[in-house]
This record gives sequence, structure tokens and C-alpha cells, in this order.
Amino acid sequence: MPGGGHCPDCGSTELVEDSHYSQSQLVCSDCGCVVTEGVLTTTFSDEGNLREVTYSRSTGENDQVSRSQQRGLRRVRDLCRVLQLPSTFEDTAVAYYQQAYRHSGIRAARLQKKEVLVGCCVLITCRQHNWPLTMGTVCALLYADLDVFSGTYMQIVKLLGLDVPSLCLADLVKTYCSSFRLFQASPSVPAKYVEDKEKMLSRTLQLVELADETWLVTGRHPLPVITAATFLAWQSLQPLHRLTCSLARFCKLANVDLPYPASSRLQELLSVLLRMAERLAWLQVLKLDKRSVVKHIGDLLQHRHTLVRKAFRDGTAEMEAGEKELRGRCQGPEQGKEEVASSSLNLPEGKRPASPTPLLPPCMLKPPKRICPPPPVSTVTGDENISDSEIEQYLRTPQEIKDFEKAQAARQAARSVSNPP
Amino acid sequence: MDADSDVALDILITNVVCVFRTRCHLNLRKIALEGANVIYKRDVGKVLMKLRKPRITATIWSSGKIICTGATSEEEAKFGARRLARSLQKLGFQVIFTDFKVVNVLAVCNMPFEIRLPEFTKNNRPHASYEPELHPAVCYRIKSLRATLQIFSTGSITVTELWKQACCTSLGSSALL
Repeated sequence: MPGGGHCPDCGSTELVEDSHYSQSQLVCSDCGCVVTEGVLTTTFSDEGNLREVTYSRSTGENDQVSRSQQRGLRRVRDLCRVLQLPSTFEDTAVAYYQQAYRHSGIRAARLQKKEVLVGCCVLITCRQHNWPLTMGTVCALLYADLDVFSGTYMQIVKLLGLDVPSLCLADLVKTYCSSFRLFQASPSVPAKYVEDKEKMLSRTLQLVELADETWLVTGRHPLPVITAATFLAWQSLQPLHRLTCSLARFCKLANVDLPYPASSRLQELLSVLLRMAERLAWLQVLKLDKRSVVKHIGDLLQHRHTLVRKAFRDGTAEMEAGEKELRGRCQGPEQGKEEVASSSLNLPEGKRPASPTPLLPPCMLKPPKRICPPPPVSTVTGDENISDSEIEQYLRTPQEIKDFEKAQAARQAARSVSNPP
Repeated sequence: MDADSDVALDILITNVVCVFRTRCHLNLRKIALEGANVIYKRDVGKVLMKLRKPRITATIWSSGKIICTGATSEEEAKFGARRLARSLQKLGFQVIFTDFKVVNVLAVCNMPFEIRLPEFTKNNRPHASYEPELHPAVCYRIKSLRATLQIFSTGSITVTELWKQACCTSLGSSALL
């Protein structure tokens, strides 16, 4: 109760401060008379002290969904429908988009990034549900650059703290193979090239598994390996008619893009198959090459587990034996002679028996990189004195400065002559 | 690999990045005119100056902030930074060499074995991130040491870290994985 106040009507001192909406009033609690009231409007001088609050800093922005966010959410739903994803995926992707949008870095980002964010949310949802969707597909649908996509994707995963599982190779094989247009005859696909979907799928899966075991998949983009495996599977099912068809023609017939590294993967896969064939008794006598081995892919895949295990074991054993021999020779010529003499093959000194090329990871087969000699131990402490003569080499002499200025002026003049205003 | 195995790893430091301040405004045009081995990038407002010994490249801003890259040890980076500050002093600027800090150390190491990246990622889930469609290596982050390792299937490992000792520690701990 404020001191020294009397109600003009009843003379009571029981005055209370009670505001009527936003207007403060002093009211007598006995008779209800309004003694004084506050000012509703602001004066000119008061308004001079007011500070404008931008929309991005006001709380209104957090309450409302901006037009840009609404557009983004619509794009997320459209993308899910185009990819024919289940409705639960749509809800999850929308939730991720909304979560990402709450971060200021995303809210203030360019439209290009927000567009790409749509694809990132859908991709993360698909990965978490083991739905095989590649980044290439998403970028193609959004007409986005893969560099921008990768940057946004890594940023979002870090921002939202998500655990995104890796792409499942088997599911990707099934989806990718199903997109090949080779399962029905058409004007562009002759009958001899048409293949049964299930047979081709199972053989492709086996070839991709083989590629995975033999170090052709790790660290590489999965799609070229799958394309190469599909091609080999298709050729091997009817080699008589299909050996003459090249990888590029095959992709054209199937109406699928040919990824650039697919030809290298194909050669690598064929080398692996050739090395496996060298260990099968009935194929050793045939002296196979990269074309003829395709006819025996069925046999090789049937025995692949044993062949690969055996080949790796033999390969590492041969390498170790070779290293030991080399070490033995380096230690002393006598010891080396003994070792060579004791070998059961009685070959002239210095020759090893011809053995099939070991089946090893590609990195082990390549010649080892030139090992840089270790740098000499540096005695630099960082606090040495620096003499003037050392610094002079980094400064131009006055003559050089004059020449440089002359050259610049001449270049400027030449430019203005060639580009008249 | 056991912790007790005595296979020595050759760790090669390939790059050390450091920053320092000159506490004075620098006239980039004057540096570009009177300095040798300089590149003036007018559109971004910086000058690149290369030193021969030690082999470092310095990025100079007019505010006086300078970043030096290319050194192969922390001591060399400091020596190169001081040499650069001395050159700027000779050009006539009132340079004071302050706030020297090593920002990043990049080291390379080769493991004597190959690594199956998908299995590695599965076993080291929260720290390892592997996207074969984007990059052929696994990105492994050690939060305690603030280090990032790039692990390739050939066994080659690249580490970026704040200082040299932590670099070696992080490579040692990665070998145990």
C-alpha cells in the first residue's frame, strides 16, 4: 500500500495497485474509485530509446514455421513419395528435417544447402531402416552436386549426433540388379540377351561376396563392383552368345549408366577368378585366359570358399618362404647355397620354382611404395638468432622494385589498350 | 596386435600449422611490392609468402594475423615464423612476435597389415565413420586427444592433431584397435 494516499471519494487510505490489462492503476479497495492511472501510449522521447529487434532474434521465429521450412518439409514428403518409401519413413525424415532446422547454422544457410538437406534427411532415414539408397541416386533426383551433398551430410550427422549404419551390400545388389532391363524381350533387347532375374541375382550376389572376400570392395565405391559382377554373371549364364558383348554395350542394353571404375573392377574380378581356376585340377589343364574363364564361373563359385581360403593360405606361406630365402641369402652365401641345395626341386642356384601367382589383396601385389629415408635429426630449436643476410634474400632490392613497378604499369597500359572503354 | 609387441612404427610428421600475431597493421600492397617470393591475392585480401629455409608458406592478413604451414616439426615452424616476422620488420613494420601457437600437426604412418574397413567400422561404432561413396578411408575420432585419424584399407593412417606427442599417442592407440 503506497503511503500518503487518500481516496478522494471516501477518504480511505486502503489504496492498491491494480492494473487493468496493461494499464497500471491505483484503486481504492473500499469504494473502487480509480485514484490515478498509468499512461497507455508512449511519448515521442520514450520511443527514441526503443531498440528494434530483428525477426531472426525475436521469439516469434521459433514459434512459427517459416515459408522456407514449409517448402523443405513439402520437398521431403515429395522425395519420399517419388522413391515409394513407406509412410513411417516419411514421418522420420520430416522429424529429422525439423530437428536440423532448429540449428542456427542450418536456418541461415543458403537455399542450395537447404535443398540438399532434404536429400540428407531421406538418406539417413533409409540407412537406419536398411533401405538401399545410394547418394548418387539422391543427388541425381535433386540435381545436386555430390561435394555439397557430402559436406551437408557429414554436418547433419555430427549436428544431430546420429548413428548411421553402413549401406548393406546384399540389399543394394538386389535393388540395383532389378533396375536392369534385361528380364523381358523388347525391340532393343534381343532374345538371346534376355535372362531370368532370380538366376542372375543369385549369381551376382555370389560374385559380389567373392569380391568382398578378396579385398576388391573395401575402400571402394560399391556400385562399379556390382556392375562388373552383374555383367560377369549375365555373361556366364549363356557364354556362347554373350562373350562378344562388351561391358559398355551391356550397360546400354540394360539402360543403366556405366560407372567409370567398373572396367577396372571387371579386370580385377577376372584376375581373381583366373587365380582361383589355377587351383582347380580340371581347369589347370585348360590354360584359361580372361575370356575363357567366364565359361567356368559356375564351377568356381561352387567351390569358392575352399579355393579362396586355400589361395590366401598358400599365398601368405609362399610370401613368407620367399622372404626367409632372401634373408637366408643375405646372411651368407654358404647358408644360401645350403638352403637352395636342400630344396627337393634341384634347380640352378638363384631360381625359385614357378608357382601360381598368389591370391593376395591388390595392395600387397602392387610394388611397395618407395620408402622415404627418415629425415635427418633436426637440431633446430626455434629460438636461434636470425642473421640479416638470411633475411635479405626475401626482400627485393630498390632496383628490382622499380623494375617491377614499371612492368606493372606497362601491363596495365597494354590491358587498357586491348580493352578500350 | 598386442600392446607388448615390439614392432616399431615409423611415424612421419608431414605438416605443422601454426599461427602468430604481429600486433600491428600490415600494408599488403607494400609487402607485395617489396617482398620477394610473394603472391598477392587482392580479392580475398591476403598475401602468400614462401620461405625457402625452412620450407614454409605463410598467409598474411592486413590485421597482423599470420598462418604458417609446411613445416615438418614444431621447432621448425617456430623458426620459420620468427624468420617471417624478421622479414616484415626489415620491410619497415613495427612487428612484435606474439601469440605463437601450433594449431595442427599432420602425421602419416604405415601399418604392416591390411584393414577390412566395414568390419572395423562395425566394431568401433560411435568413433568410426565410413562412407565408401564419399571417401575410401574410415574417419576415426579420438575425442579425448582431439585427434582425427584417416585409416585406409592398405594400412596407411593419417593423423591430424594439436601437438606432436598426442599425435604419437593417438597412433599408438589406433594400432591397438
